[in-house]
Amino acid sequence: MKKQISLSILLILILLTGIAQDRKGFGLFTDRDVYVSGEMLLAKVYTPDDNPSRIVYLDLVSPYGTRICGVSLQVHSNQTDGFLQLPDSLHSGTYLLRSYFKNTSAKSKIIREIWISHRFDGLDETYQMNRLTGLEKCQDQPTEQIEIDQVDPIYHTPAGVEAKIKIDEKLLKEIDGNILVSVAQTEPSFIPASFIWSSDRIPAGLTENKGIIVSGSVIDKKTMLPASGITVCLTIPDSIPGFQYYQTKSDGRFYFMVNDYYGSVQAVVQCFGNSAIQRLKIKLDDLFAAPDKLAGMSSVPASETFKNTIAQSIDAVTFQKIFNENNLKLLPAPQRKPDSYPYYGKPSNTVNPHLFIDLPDFNEVSKELLPGVKFRNYNNEPTMKVINSASRLYFEDQPLVLIDGIPVRDLNVIKGMGTADIKRVDICQSERFYGDLRFPGVVAIYTTKADYSQLPESDQMVRIKLEAIQVPASLYEPAKQESTIPDLRQVIYWNPSLAPSGAITVHCTTSSIVGQFKLVVRGKLKNGTIVFAEKQFEVK
Amino acid sequence: MKNITSTILIFLLAYSFLQKVNAQEIANKNWDSGKIKGIRYVPYSSYQGMAFMNNTWLPGKVEFTTGEIADSLFVRYSSYKDDLIYYNRAISAQIVIDKASLNGFSFTDEMGRERIFRKYYYDDFRKSDRYFEVLSKGETDLLCYRNVILTSTMPYKDESLIYKNLDYETNYSYYFYSPVKGYSSVRMNMTALLSKFDKTLKRPIKKLLRKNRIRVSDEASFVNGWKVLEKEGYKVVF
Repeated sequence: MKKQISLSILLILILLTGIAQDRKGFGLFTDRDVYVSGEMLLAKVYTPDDNPSRIVYLDLVSPYGTRICGVSLQVHSNQTDGFLQLPDSLHSGTYLLRSYFKNTSAKSKIIREIWISHRFDGLDETYQMNRLTGLEKCQDQPTEQIEIDQVDPIYHTPAGVEAKIKIDEKLLKEIDGNILVSVAQTEPSFIPASFIWSSDRIPAGLTENKGIIVSGSVIDKKTMLPASGITVCLTIPDSIPGFQYYQTKSDGRFYFMVNDYYGSVQAVVQCFGNSAIQRLKIKLDDLFAAPDKLAGMSSVPASETFKNTIAQSIDAVTFQKIFNENNLKLLPAPQRKPDSYPYYGKPSNTVNPHLFIDLPDFNEVSKELLPGVKFRNYNNEPTMKVINSASRLYFEDQPLVLIDGIPVRDLNVIKGMGTADIKRVDICQSERFYGDLRFPGVVAIYTTKADYSQLPESDQMVRIKLEAIQVPASLYEPAKQESTIPDLRQVIYWNPSLAPSGAITVHCTTSSIVGQFKLVVRGKLKNGTIVFAEKQFEVK
Repeated sequence: MKNITSTILIFLLAYSFLQKVNAQEIANKNWDSGKIKGIRYVPYSSYQGMAFMNNTWLPGKVEFTTGEIADSLFVRYSSYKDDLIYYNRAISAQIVIDKASLNGFSFTDEMGRERIFRKYYYDDFRKSDRYFEVLSKGETDLLCYRNVILTSTMPYKDESLIYKNLDYETNYSYYFYSPVKGYSSVRMNMTALLSKFDKTLKRPIKKLLRKNRIRVSDEASFVNGWKVLEKEGYKVVF
């Protein structure tokens, strides 16, 4: 009996650690707590070290849980940082930032409150603040093992700030990864909190341990059942197009992994039936977590000091917009090793039709310029064949025809294309293979517009704008102050990945913004606890 | 009572296990399934001799230029065309893998020995990317270009009783290779091996090989001899 009791206790402990694993070490911090619409928000996310996902999402959501915008960030050493451009059109109010991994998004997300004021009527709308209630708070721990010295209580603008940060040797050994150091304006009457939002909702997404996963399903429109054996392609148009394919199983599901792409990426997902008459429909899964039904909010009246800070922020942002000041400097994205040649192979011939005389349609172009390509348009039913250079005979089947890298089966799309529309044509006069796909010759047309606008929209083709991994950025620091341009930085220092050491010196200069500022040092310990130290000063 | 307790314990165990595993859940998607690029293999003309290093399909793996590896392939190396051919079961096709897409490949031969091939740019006569078998890997590699050529021979009748006067003949060439110093051709005999070192070292090299009971006369003994010399710190003079 004793054995059983001890075993039960052990199992309960394992169970509890299992539940806790998604939460420990999760932290979301921003440069400030109060923003104006149209501003840039800087964020640092600490992630649990037991999640193998490499992609963490940072979304701005309304108090009702609806996603407004968001980015995908690449995790390094269980932490990441990024920025979010707050839309200009946001109404004044409390908004929520949420961060999550797709594979655990259904179970846990971290949520942080922020205040956003509308740039034009923000002050009129600011009379009360909504605050989240009823959620489990996730607070970082203040520590005395980080000392911030040489920060005066008052600075005059503009002045240099040189702070010394001392980290205790014992703590230094405990810190996991880099630390965040920021100096920014603060509003003491609005102290936001981070919350862990969790539910038992299933299913969870896939683990994105290599890159962003695009998934969905294909349905047969006739039977309305999942279609199996369907080839689904994902193309990322480029001079050397990115291409992946997936053959659906009985569940009709497909998955693509988009790794090594940065910033906004245009992609096209297509599916091709097993027969010409099969009608299919692609249904993409949501690229981001579904809206969350959050706990209630309580209203708190906005204080006068809060209103004053907002008024000052609105002025500062308006001036920054007028002077077109950019607070962020985009850093070069890690170089993706490009393919040396397209997936359809090295072309045996490349023709640049725009260098030749003007030809009105593709029939003429193929006859006059494209070696080994036979394009005919009898009875308005175009056909195309490519010669097999090995056998000197034309392939029986239609070749792989691409427009800007996107496969096309209906040749009516290209029949009207003349030399003015075509920049380049790659021709492969051999039987090419890409994985299990067979191409009896290839004709890849690259258009002058390069916008693949010729391709008709259909249920079998979906264009998506994919927010791939965000390009790294750093805070722009003015090298030399120009007297004609006001310096209205509310964040005067932001280094989200500073290597921890016993003594760190932080140099920054105050801007023309007066008010309360706060220097914060934040780090994550190996046991998942997030610790911080801060020092406030006033700029007059 | 005991049964109820055991059931609860099993339930708890299963639940806690699921909790642990769920975070790592991922269907084993074969992301790289579509990555092999190539053209259909067109059979070579039939002559005496072997155009392939191995006539049977052998289990092997390929390394792409991106660094990714595809394994569980059945491959054979064409010494005649210096190409790697794999068999795609899904579409029942023999496909010549694009050389430009590979860094190298390996397979296990009939004797159970792993044969490793790397693609290097050969900048001497007939400049091109070539697959070299890596016989010894180190600061200086010992490589073999397992080439087969078509040569004229006495007329003979093939299986279809057609007269032919060509056959596939092995034309292997061996090189010491260093990424910095390039290639240095070598034959598989003692004199050639000694000629690759400083004259003053010939005597101690001979002594060392004798001590290790290595008599350099063919490829296997040459490789053994070179490995011993490399271990002792002898450097090839390019």
